[in-house]
Amino acid sequence: MRLQHVTFSLTAVLLFMAFAQSTFGQALDISSGGQPTITGTLNGSVTGSANVTSDLVVTVNFGEVSPLNTNSIVKVTVPIGVRSNQPYQVTVSITGLNNANVEALQASDVGFGIRNMRLLGGAGKVCTQSSHLIRSPFDNDPAISATIGSSGRVAYPSSLGSLSGATVILSGPQLSKNNSANRQTSDGYAFDAILALTPQFFASGVSSATLIFTISPGPNVPC
Amino acid sequence: MPLPSSISTKLILPSMFLVLLAVTCSGQSTTGTVTMSATVSKFVEINSGGSVTLTGNSGGGVTTDGVVNTPLGVSINLGELGPSNTNSFVTASVPLKLRSNAPYVLSMSATVTSSGSTTNKIGPADVGFGLGTVSRTGTGVNTGGSDTNATSGDPTLAANGSVNGTSGRYEFTAVRSNLNAFSSSTTALNGAFIMNAVPRSNANGLVVPASFAIKPQFFENGTTTISVTFTVTAP
Repeated sequence: MRLQHVTFSLTAVLLFMAFAQSTFGQALDISSGGQPTITGTLNGSVTGSANVTSDLVVTVNFGEVSPLNTNSIVKVTVPIGVRSNQPYQVTVSITGLNNANVEALQASDVGFGIRNMRLLGGAGKVCTQSSHLIRSPFDNDPAISATIGSSGRVAYPSSLGSLSGATVILSGPQLSKNNSANRQTSDGYAFDAILALTPQFFASGVSSATLIFTISPGPNVPC
Repeated sequence: MPLPSSISTKLILPSMFLVLLAVTCSGQSTTGTVTMSATVSKFVEINSGGSVTLTGNSGGGVTTDGVVNTPLGVSINLGELGPSNTNSFVTASVPLKLRSNAPYVLSMSATVTSSGSTTNKIGPADVGFGLGTVSRTGTGVNTGGSDTNATSGDPTLAANGSVNGTSGRYEFTAVRSNLNAFSSSTTALNGAFIMNAVPRSNANGLVVPASFAIKPQFFENGTTTISVTFTVTAP
């Protein structure tokens, strides 16, 4: 084998590895941020991985939300992990939950807010020139900020009805110090997505919806 | 031995592919999903709509009164029902409060037990019954919903009863106007869903008075116990 060819091959591989790391290594990533929880439910549940290196795949069953559930509210907290080597934004879109009967469960009946942006650990990037911004109107805990509207129906400062297409809920500067190709337990941030549903005299039926959280390049803010 | 350049190239491309695969399959993702579901079952409830009103009684009284928005469980002593009570009727009006998120049916069953031994004792047909005006008012109530009253309303109305010309006994003659029509569970009222999507803490609902009436007569002396059970369902 000629030395020229070997040298060329090795250089090409190394260069590509370096390029791949800088291009794909933790450029933008969303994952589980910890164990999701549920309170106030009757026959409901939430499943999802507690491991922050696992994909974000959460299934929420609010359970019974008619007046048979005598709890004041069903609250679900879904921790979500985010990592990036660049400014980012997180969007949410919703599919489903489009009941024609106005007395049935509507998207506006499910409170939705973002709280508790926090470092996952020491490998998370602390930026001093820009902050992580929870976009309006989502900076609230809907479980403690629910009110009764003029119609008697429960209203929230923000709800799934506040989502229109891919709606930006969070943005900010770089999240991770390193460029590890693999998720680490400490190399980013986590925030809580909070869902709240007050049992009411909804028209009977079963409703379902899917939220899709997406992280993508965000406004170019300094770190 | 020199390695042909084509082999060298073949080594480079798979290597690059493997590196790319390793990076892109490193467990990172730009999307995540939260799938949700919720169940709303049919819900109905009956509670007291407030205090009992007892009129025309001689003696007796309301032993256990109704307390609005609490489980219905009232006890009434109708007092003297013989001719010594000179009032036209002894009547008891019991307010009922119904709430539902689905079309409802209010049924009633009644038993009348008297200590007498003859046909002159008080029997189910001697106890008039009817549901009064249905009220759907207040925030959160489906005020546009309709209701069908299967009874004839106030049993003391002249149109709902009279003295039997042959026997001389007063009779409640209208449709479902006495407890004989409710010896088994029988529909008294039904209608559209009552509550819009509001929390259970909203205290409003459908209110309807259940009226019971007995005409004092020369009944056989003794004591009588009348037991009435209301049941609301969402078929």
